Amino acid sequence: MIVFADVNTTAIVVFAIVLAITLGITAWASKRASSAVGFYAAGRGITGFQNGLAISGDYLSAASFLGIAGLIYIFGFDGFVYSIGFLVAFLTVMFLLAERMRNSGKYTIADVLAFRLRERPARVAAALGTLSVAAFYLIAQMVGAGVLIEKLVGIDFTLAVLITGTFMLCYVVFGGMVATTWVQIIKAVLLMTGIVVMSIFVLNKVGFNPIELFNRAEEAGKAKGSTFSLGPGTFLKNNTDMVSLGLALVLGTAGLPHILMRFFTVPNAKAARSSVVYAMFIIGFFYLLTTVIGFGARAILGQKSVEAAGATNGNLAAPLLAENLGGGEGTTGGDLFLAIIAGVAFATILAVVAGLVLSASSAVAHDVWSSIIRRGRDSEREEVLVAKIAALAIGAIAMLIAILGGEELNVSFMVGLAFAIAASANFPALLLALTWPRFNTAGAVTGVAFGLISAIGLIIISPIVWGGPPGAPDTGAFKSYDLNNPGLISIPMGFIGCYLGTVLSKERGNERSFHELRVRSETGLGSERALVEH
Amino acid sequence: MAEPSTQREPGGEIDWRAVEASPEFQDLVRKRRSFVLPGTIFFLAWYMGFILLTAYAEDFMSERVYEGLTVGYCLALTQFLMVLVLGLMYLKRSANVYDPLAARAIEGYAQHSGRYAARSARDGGNREVGSRAAGSEQEAAR
Repeated sequence: MIVFADVNTTAIVVFAIVLAITLGITAWASKRASSAVGFYAAGRGITGFQNGLAISGDYLSAASFLGIAGLIYIFGFDGFVYSIGFLVAFLTVMFLLAERMRNSGKYTIADVLAFRLRERPARVAAALGTLSVAAFYLIAQMVGAGVLIEKLVGIDFTLAVLITGTFMLCYVVFGGMVATTWVQIIKAVLLMTGIVVMSIFVLNKVGFNPIELFNRAEEAGKAKGSTFSLGPGTFLKNNTDMVSLGLALVLGTAGLPHILMRFFTVPNAKAARSSVVYAMFIIGFFYLLTTVIGFGARAILGQKSVEAAGATNGNLAAPLLAENLGGGEGTTGGDLFLAIIAGVAFATILAVVAGLVLSASSAVAHDVWSSIIRRGRDSEREEVLVAKIAALAIGAIAMLIAILGGEELNVSFMVGLAFAIAASANFPALLLALTWPRFNTAGAVTGVAFGLISAIGLIIISPIVWGGPPGAPDTGAFKSYDLNNPGLISIPMGFIGCYLGTVLSKERGNERSFHELRVRSETGLGSERALVEH
Repeated sequence: MAEPSTQREPGGEIDWRAVEASPEFQDLVRKRRSFVLPGTIFFLAWYMGFILLTAYAEDFMSERVYEGLTVGYCLALTQFLMVLVLGLMYLKRSANVYDPLAARAIEGYAQHSGRYAARSARDGGNREVGSRAAGSEQEAAR
């Protein structure tokens, strides 16, 4: 681990610049986020290209930037496999959900379920799925933020979590979706610029020949104690677990509430569609470059920096590489490049946590408060106020758990769980509500319950909870079960729950509303219009 | 929930079944499905195939194509290519086939299309990739 003797002043200056810019945006956005459609959906006035950038900013967490580059540095090829799943997942989103969500929903994924199902149970189920995903994802990101900022800047873990949480809440509470969107857009631009510049530095060292980069990485990976390989099998050793993870990644994105919510911010389905394609380009390019960073770190830093980067995850490989490329430890260039990459990582975390809190607070205010508790009798002003209070509460709880759980909380385990719940609980119910005429309320509730309970239950009995390194034979209480990723079982369980609930209940689906939903989701007739700015 | 700016259309105004029964709508659903369904099966198969090979064929994936370039890395690159190609194909088909069909399917609702036309021209138009060829005509009817 890097131990900075003092607080890194250059990094603090870069962090302050990031915070100043984002707060400026929030101040500008606050006037536009006072109405419900402004707060939840940025007035539906975000263009396809802007939304593509914002989706990338919302999606590419520090786990993608530092995590995948680090895994490639430590383990080689296996780290790259994650990014393939994260990217291909956008085909699932584009083909099955993006336009339909835009055409049939309003602010939350529960809107799509409530459209043709009995409103209250459907919203409870969807809100539960949304909150579970957001909670695990949010805590994981907060802990990750605390650890990184502590390591990179020298600020204490608790203080780092508090700073991240406070700014995240500022964006959401004062600027709603408008501020969140622009923070995500700026983050995407910063992140892409950072990774492109770093990649050019790396490729420059190998004469812009990627094959030479692979060769040098492989050569450096032969060092004693190295786990690096250009082929698979060094990190994800359990084959079934690998398949299970792969499945959860490719379907999980299509159930992430903070990503799906972004489709409500564009004026129409056409913009929703193009925003996915822009996001695919940006995210795909990004993941290609993470291999340059990861292999570059291996070729340039070699085995000797493994301890400093984090032997199990390599999270600090990218910042260390930046320091080296800038001239090395203690040089002005090295300090500056390290500080800039740390600032980019900080912006990355802020944009993701803001999106998560916004999606969770929308579920609480729009689904639970307005539709279930107040049964639609509340005013728009009240609903937005509740959303802001909910954001504060959710943010405070997440900060508290992150601080209490501390640096020891296993971040990748919680991100994996978030994807598994999204794929098992949210995705089946959403897909079937939009496509299966017979689907009914009982089906949705059972499906979400099956998916949620099986994903969480299987994680609880998994080896990762009961100790032992990932992929090692289970040494815990449940010897016969050795999957760390529940997707292979819990995703089918979600679909089975939807099916059984539907066919076993006497309830007839509301057919009229299915015809309406079908026409609306396919053509956009009757869908929510954009707020016209005066 | 008083939300004046985003009111849902009063259900009574639109005969959803009539739109659904129209040949244009049926055509739209059939044509879109005939691309999306095989597309989804293809990308899931190609992706899960890659994952299965990574999990169960480590030696094959570690084989060299050229110096440090492995079969695994090449197959990973085909995933990037697949995302790119399917994404662009879908955009193009949407602009050329699905959007015009959707517009015709809902054409009968003149009172809506009239209002939407003015709106879409302001908020939707011409900001998207690959859709310029389709122009604002079908968009107007939304």
